[in-house]
Amino acid sequence: MAKVLVIADIKRGEVKRSTAELLAKARTLGAETAVVAIGNNLEALIPDLVSVGSGSQYIADDPGLELFSAGPYASCVVDAASQFGADQIWFASTESSKAVAPRVAARLAVACATDITDVASTGGNIEITRPAIANKVIQRVKINSEKLVAVVRAGAFPMTDEGTAGSENVIRLSAPPTDLGAVIKELIADASGDIDLGDAAIVVSVGRGVKDQKGIDLVKGLADDLGAGFGTSRAMVDSGLMGHNKQVGQTGKIVAPKLYIAVGISGAIQHLSGMTGSQVIVAVNNDPEAPIFNVADYGIVGDLFEVVPILREQIKSIKR
Amino acid sequence: MKILTTVKKVVDVELTIRVESGAIVEEGLQYVMNAWDENAVEASVQLKENNGAETTLVSIGGGDDNTQIIRRGYAMGIDNGIQVDDPQLAGADSFVLARVLQKVYETGSYDLVVTGKQAQDTDNGQTGIILAENLGIPCVSNVVAIDVIDDKLIKVTRLGDGGKEIVELKLPALVTVSDSINEPRLPQMRGLMMAKKKKIEVMDLAALGTSFAEVGGSGNRSEILEFSRSQAREAGKKFEGDAAQITAQVVDLLMNEAKVL
Ligand SMILES: Cc1cc2nc3c(=O)[nH]c(=O)nc-3n(C[C@H](O)[C@H](O)[C@H](O)COP(=O)(O)OP(=O)(O)OC[C@H]3O[C@@H](n4cnc5c(N)ncnc54)[C@H](O)[C@@H]3O)c2cc1C
Ligand SMILES: Nc1ncnc2c1ncn2[C@@H]1O[C@H](COP(=O)(O)O)[C@@H](O)[C@H]1O
Repeated sequence: MAKVLVIADIKRGEVKRSTAELLAKARTLGAETAVVAIGNNLEALIPDLVSVGSGSQYIADDPGLELFSAGPYASCVVDAASQFGADQIWFASTESSKAVAPRVAARLAVACATDITDVASTGGNIEITRPAIANKVIQRVKINSEKLVAVVRAGAFPMTDEGTAGSENVIRLSAPPTDLGAVIKELIADASGDIDLGDAAIVVSVGRGVKDQKGIDLVKGLADDLGAGFGTSRAMVDSGLMGHNKQVGQTGKIVAPKLYIAVGISGAIQHLSGMTGSQVIVAVNNDPEAPIFNVADYGIVGDLFEVVPILREQIKSIKR
Repeated sequence: MKILTTVKKVVDVELTIRVESGAIVEEGLQYVMNAWDENAVEASVQLKENNGAETTLVSIGGGDDNTQIIRRGYAMGIDNGIQVDDPQLAGADSFVLARVLQKVYETGSYDLVVTGKQAQDTDNGQTGIILAENLGIPCVSNVVAIDVIDDKLIKVTRLGDGGKEIVELKLPALVTVSDSINEPRLPQMRGLMMAKKKKIEVMDLAALGTSFAEVGGSGNRSEILEFSRSQAREAGKKFEGDAAQITAQVVDLLMNEAKVL
C-alpha cells in the first residue's frame, strides 16, 4: 500500500470523525496519506484537517463549491489524486460520496467498490470485503485495476486510539469548471440543531408502532434523556411524520452506535441492514414474533406507550 | 420525450440466501425485478402519463425470469422492451454493463435515462452513474422527484447530505431514483394479459453492433472471489410480562452486563 487519498467528510463546517477513522486505517496499512477538502470557506478548517492525521491537504475552496454538485466535486478529487499520485481513494459513506466515487473511478478508469468493510493490499494486489444483498452475504472481491476508488461503510474502521496529528502541507487546487448541464437551483436544508445520527453514541429510533405525533414526542423524550440521536424507519418517513434525514437503513443512514434502541419498529431487512453493526441493540415491540427481536440483545415485549414512560423514569433515576 | 429505463433481475432478498463453499446456492432462489428499478419503471410511466413520452426498458440478462421481469414492466405501462442476452456477459462488472447500456442508448435517441439507485443483489449503486459519465450527459443520483419543464429541461429533487437539492438538468440526462420517489403500482390482470402478447427485442452483443472486446468484457476491474454468510446477530434475551419489571431488568442489564448506560 503506497498512497491513500481520503476525501474529507465536512458537514456544517465541521470535519467529521469518519475522516480521522479513514486516515487512521490508512496509517495502519503503512500508507502515505493525504486529504482533499472541497467546499467554500475552508481556510479555518485547515488545522482540523491536519490534526485528524493527514500528511498533505489538498484544498478546493471556491464559492462555486458551496453547494454540492457531483461533477465538479469529482473533478477536484481527480485533480488531487493525480497531483498526489494516489493509489487508493477513500470516501466516507455519505450520499455525496456515493454520487462522486463512481464518477471518479470512471474518469480514472479504475475499479470502484462501495460499502467496503475492509481492504488489504499485498504485493500490489488489492482485495476488499463488503456486504451485499442487504447484508445477507459478504463478498471478498479482487481488484484487477492497479488503483481503487472505495466508499467505506459507516463504522467499518473504528479508531483504536485518539489518532495521530499529521503534518501541514497545504496544496491549493484550482476551481473546477461548473456543470452547465446540471444546475443547482436550491438547497432545502434539513433542520439543524439535532444530533447527527452518524456521530451519536446512542441512537433511539421510532417506527410505525408509535402511530402519531404524540407517540413520536414520547420516544423523542427518551432520546433526549439519553442525549441520543433520533432515528426512524422508512414507514415513518413515507407517512410524512419524520424527515428523510432521520431514516436508518439500506437507503437511509447506516449507524453503528454503542447502543441502538428500536421502538415500534418491525425489523424489515432494509431497516436491519442499517443498524445491525450497533454494539448493543434493544427492541421494544408488542409483537413477540417481530423480526427485530432476532437481532436484539435485549427485547422488551410490550406496549411502547406503557414501556417507554417507565424506561424514561428508570433511566432518569440512574442518571440522578 | 423518449425515456430509457434500466431494469435488473435480482434474487428475492426476502427469502433465505444460502452460501456453500464460497458460492450462493442457486436452489430455492427466486428472481424478481430489482425494487429500485420498479421505482424507475413507475417514474418513467408517470412521466409518460403526465407529460407524454415513449418508454423503453432494457435489461441485460438471460433466462425466463428475465423475460417475466420485462413483461412486468409492460404490465406497468412500459411501451418497448429490449433484452440483452449474451452468455459472455455472465460475471460482467458495472463498467462492462455500463458499456453495454451505452450501446443500447446509442441505438435510440433517448432524452432521459432512468435507473435504480442500486441493485439489491450487488448493492453497488454505480452502473447508472458510470453510464452517464461515459456518455458525458448530466446526471443526478438518489432522485425523489422529477418535474418536466420543457422538452429540453427537467427539474429534479435529490436527497443529499444537507437536505433536498433542487437541480435543473439539460436533456439528454440520466437520473438514478430512490425508493422514496414513488410507490410502484401493482400490475393489473388486464395489463399482465396484454404483456404476454407483446414482443420483446432480444439481442446479443453482435446484434447490438458490438463485441465482448469493445465493451471491455475481458477487463473486469473487479471480480468476486467468494461469498460468505454475514455473521448473523444472535437473538438475545427477550422479556415478557409485567412492563415495570421487565423494563427494570433490561435497564439493569444495560448498566451492569452490557455496560452501555
Ligand atoms: C427498496 C427498499 C428500501 C427500503 N429502505 C428502507 C430503509 O432504509 N429503512 C427502513 O426503515 N425501511 C426501508 N424500507 C422499508 C421496509 O421494508 C419496511 O417497510 C419499514 O422498515 C417498516 O417500518 P416500521 O418497522 O416502522 O413499520 P411496520 O413494519 O409497520 O412495523 C411497526 C411495528 O410496530 C409494532 N407496534 C405496533 N403498535 C405497537 C405498540 N403499541 N407498542 C409496541 N410496538 C408496536 C408492530 O408490532 C410492528 O412490528 C425499504 C423498502 C424497500 C422496498
Ligand atoms: N444487468 C442489468 N441490466 C439492466 N440494468 C442494470 C443491470 N445491472 C444494473 N443495472 C441498472 O443499474 C442500477 C444500479 O445497479 P448497481 O450498480 O449494480 O447497484 C440498477 O438499479 C439498474 O437500473
